[in-house]
Amino acid sequence: MILHFKVYKSTTSSTMEVPNGFLVISLLLCFATTGHGVTFTSLQRTLVVTASPTEGQVLKAGDANITVTWGFNRTFPSGTDADYRTVKVKLCYAPISQKDRSWRKTVDEMQKDKTCQHKIVARPYSASNNTFTSTILRDIPSGTYFVRAYAFNGNDEEVGFGQNTNGKLETNLFVIQAITGRHASLDIASICFSAFSVVALAGFFYMEKSKGKSQK
Amino acid sequence: MEVSQNSDYNDRKFALPVDSEHKATEFRLFSVATPHMRAFHLSWISFFACFVSTFAAPPLIPIIRDNLDLTATDIGNAGIAAVSGSVFARVAMGTACDLFGPRLASSSLILLTAPAVFLSSIANSPAAFLMVRFFTGFSLSTFVSTQFWMSSMFSPGVVGTANGLSGGWGNLGGGATQLIMPLVYSLIHSQIGSTKFTAWRIAFFIPAIFQTLSAFAIFFLGQDMPDGNYVRLEKSGEKHKDNFSQVFYHAITNYRGWILALTYGYCFGVELTIDNIIAQYFYDRFNVNLHTAGIIAASFGLANLFSRPGGGILSDVVAKRFGMRGRLWTLWVVQMIGGLLCLLLGKINTLTASIAVMLVFSVFVQAACGLTFGVVPFVSRRSLGVISGMTGGGGNVGAVLTQVIFFRGSRYSTEEGITLMGVMIMCCTIPILFIYFPQWGGLFCGPKKGSTEQDYYLSEWNKAEKEQGFHKMSLKFADNSRTERGNKGVPVTVTSYNETPPTSV
Repeated sequence: MILHFKVYKSTTSSTMEVPNGFLVISLLLCFATTGHGVTFTSLQRTLVVTASPTEGQVLKAGDANITVTWGFNRTFPSGTDADYRTVKVKLCYAPISQKDRSWRKTVDEMQKDKTCQHKIVARPYSASNNTFTSTILRDIPSGTYFVRAYAFNGNDEEVGFGQNTNGKLETNLFVIQAITGRHASLDIASICFSAFSVVALAGFFYMEKSKGKSQK
Repeated sequence: MEVSQNSDYNDRKFALPVDSEHKATEFRLFSVATPHMRAFHLSWISFFACFVSTFAAPPLIPIIRDNLDLTATDIGNAGIAAVSGSVFARVAMGTACDLFGPRLASSSLILLTAPAVFLSSIANSPAAFLMVRFFTGFSLSTFVSTQFWMSSMFSPGVVGTANGLSGGWGNLGGGATQLIMPLVYSLIHSQIGSTKFTAWRIAFFIPAIFQTLSAFAIFFLGQDMPDGNYVRLEKSGEKHKDNFSQVFYHAITNYRGWILALTYGYCFGVELTIDNIIAQYFYDRFNVNLHTAGIIAASFGLANLFSRPGGGILSDVVAKRFGMRGRLWTLWVVQMIGGLLCLLLGKINTLTASIAVMLVFSVFVQAACGLTFGVVPFVSRRSLGVISGMTGGGGNVGAVLTQVIFFRGSRYSTEEGITLMGVMIMCCTIPILFIYFPQWGGLFCGPKKGSTEQDYYLSEWNKAEKEQGFHKMSLKFADNSRTERGNKGVPVTVTSYNETPPTSV
């Protein structure tokens, strides 16, 4: 709160844009220092993010590539991104993939939020267009996704975000199909061991019967 | 535990002192002597393996749910399926023990359910996951063969101890698996380098192979009764091959079996329910991380190391002085306290107090399980297996019922569910007050004058069967169970039955 007053004192004769930016940052820092976690609703959509998959496209994990681009949203005043240090681009679950799965729940407090669990890339921040292409990792589960990028300040707190879908998370969603994790060798081993158990049991019964016969 | 009765029958070929049925009258934990102690070690190890397999999935759920795209409903249903499969399997197992002997019955069941564990590795959908958990759960019915085997090998004076230790150390598998499976998984994932979705599949081979090996051990190293296996004893005429419908009839018409089935549902059933929900409860209510929640969950199951055996030992100790009435009273008191603690658990708001209450609660509820099986061996001699199966099955019914009523959907919060479960435990323990043995008494009434153990156990055989001498084993048991009168009982003269002494083989 002290920080807040200091800003007020020094901005009486400055131009409009700079004090607004400082105000936003200082307010956010206030929240951080008073111990409240950063909430998603406090973040502004200051990044523009696009992703290569088209709406409804199905991508195979471990196989398909995804290209993401992100950059500063020029409609915001130019000093807004003054304290952005890093950007993390993540794969996030669309509402349909969160249904009846409380371990993927969206919670406003960023520390408890479970919407975006898979990191695509982390890069130092730069305002102009950044792109990154990679293969979708093999441990990504099946589901419907969108891409979101978070901007972090020097204290590793979220200070801004961008996403390739709209505010209601309805457009540009794409589907990822996970690997099964099965291999032919595993299947064969599994079936062979199972068959062995049953055959062994038959063997036991046979041995027991012949023991009975040989007793008397 | 020295019960020095019938020392004349101390056959030199047994490593332990035995009674007239050649059941051991002492329990020596660190011996593997054939046949008594060996049977003990084989039974608890195989039961432990089955518990590990049945509860192998829960600690790996965070990986499996992503691989198979499971919803919370799918996971809940699979958890219920895992314990419901065993309900009828336990009764079937009891019957199989009565008819074929515990050695064949348990090794068969273990080998028949091992494929379900192997095939878990190739499950590919929520439906497949439910099926493998359902069929793997059948293996929990080895509990019945464990208790039956102990009741066949150990004399009334130590049967509570033997049952409690074998049941408790088997149940330990449910706690141990919460530690074993994540360890095996991370070894495979990091050392061998398999991807997450392959590593968990490979991990399931470990419990599956362990289970298969235990079945082999039982078949080749085990023996049904102190004098030999059923097959041989039936051929030589020492044991007659019993009639299924008679065995079944005498079990289901014995009201004590039904009462114990209900009350066991509210100690063991509660234990299974807690195994399924407790990690989630601590994670959600107290915000501990998943790893910590798993350790807390494991500690509940690991208390079985001493708590269930403690119940069994307590049953035997109390019986020495107070006989069967002592066993029944202790069971009632311990289970009631367990219910009270459960009620309290749901009401507590702080983490440390909650863990403390949970641990004390686990001791009481598991001791109640041990105490129950201090009473079960005496309910019937002819239909021991089916009675054990009914009681064991009742335990699983309790688990299914409790999870469906209190822990499904969002009608009650988990803490409300736990408190209500405590109330239900107390209500369902009341029927113990109605158990009455004419030869020993019940909680409130003493024994009926002139009623003997012989009257009770021989009532299970009809005249024709008695004429053919099929009831001989029940006679011996009736004799040996005289200890259930306690020290306060009036000593009764031993009637001779004009019978030849047991043939040594």
